[in-house]
Amino acid sequence: MIILAENPNLALWGKWLGDGLGNNADGSTAGNAIFGIFLSLVVYLIGQWLFKISKGFFLFQPLFVGMVLGILVLFLLAKAFGTSTATFYRSAYKPGGDIIFWFLNPATIAFAVPLYRRNDIVKRFWLEIILSLIIGLSLSLLVIYEAAKLIGLDTVGIASMLPQAATTAIAMPISNAIGGVGAVTATACILNSVIIYALGDWLVKFFRIDKDPIGAGLGLGTAGHTVGSAKAVQLGSIQGSMASIAVVIISIVVDLLVPPFASLVGLR
Amino acid sequence: MAQQHPTTQPETAGEQPTPILGQMSIFAAILFVASLISPLFPASLPVPTPVIGIVILYTLLATHILKLRNVEKFADFMISLIAFLFVPAGVQLAASLDILKAQGLQITAVVLIATIVMLVLVSYTAVGLIWLRQHLFHRKSAVEQETTL
Repeated sequence: MIILAENPNLALWGKWLGDGLGNNADGSTAGNAIFGIFLSLVVYLIGQWLFKISKGFFLFQPLFVGMVLGILVLFLLAKAFGTSTATFYRSAYKPGGDIIFWFLNPATIAFAVPLYRRNDIVKRFWLEIILSLIIGLSLSLLVIYEAAKLIGLDTVGIASMLPQAATTAIAMPISNAIGGVGAVTATACILNSVIIYALGDWLVKFFRIDKDPIGAGLGLGTAGHTVGSAKAVQLGSIQGSMASIAVVIISIVVDLLVPPFASLVGLR
Repeated sequence: MAQQHPTTQPETAGEQPTPILGQMSIFAAILFVASLISPLFPASLPVPTPVIGIVILYTLLATHILKLRNVEKFADFMISLIAFLFVPAGVQLAASLDILKAQGLQITAVVLIATIVMLVLVSYTAVGLIWLRQHLFHRKSAVEQETTL
């Protein structure tokens, strides 16, 4: 099955390295993952190196650098091969990227450990934790809705912005259900993580959230998903535990709260 | 480490951490069970596999069926990798450059505002609720003392 026969350059890549679209030397449909894995490692290591030599300049956070460089490399290679970036991404990068991406499953589960390490706090403050996530998210939804309207997004865009507090796997179907575009919501979820990863420390200090470990943890977990939790684990054990519980509970809260909110403001 | 985490059960000297392959197997087993449960939720209330997985692992730890030494090493390792694991998710934006071209600036602006708003409002709500509890119900909390240590 030669899907990209109309593009001889890309078919050559597939023959040579294998790709995600079935253009493989051995005729199998599984792509050769090594390009995606290698590119991800290289751009991330460049990010770590830049972060180190710039003595921690926030724009040189390894995840952010890796993401921008990775997209840039794919963009340039796609130009060189005479195809679109999206096609080149799917055929050359995705097979390897998906393997790394899969490990987010065990990595997410791993947050049960920092959560359990401060089970004393969870037991003592469970009601405050759940209530602050419900109230905090409700208020946030109002602000996000008004901000999106003010900035001039259409109704599809606004609907896509509402579920971003949840983890991507929950946010995408909710977004589609309330009339948004899943891919845009997934983009928002990734940008949340990148923003918190790059600006988290500074934001926590600027808004004086660092005074309260429970609040800081819950906020970081809500705004930055699992990346926010990793940030919170670095701040302290209470922060890490609270961020981990926030990731779980906020996703369920989004599940239950965003669809009624969307119909309340008349998005659907 | 031990004095940092007061809830960690004191481990007797003879108890070694589970070998790393064993820890990975525990994670794989939990993921497998979670992936069997996830499709049981209706499409209107999606609950993905990893979210169910956290709940299962936390429950197993809280009921002392699993000890921290059974999962701790692999868990801490995975958490230390999380930023790298998100690189493919970030690069995935290459597939939706068209959407970003059309409304990219507005979307980025809204997401930036949303991120800050969620961080600040959830944090402040938590601080407010804990303050309320301490002042309204006169229940003591030891969090402040613990964190100043």
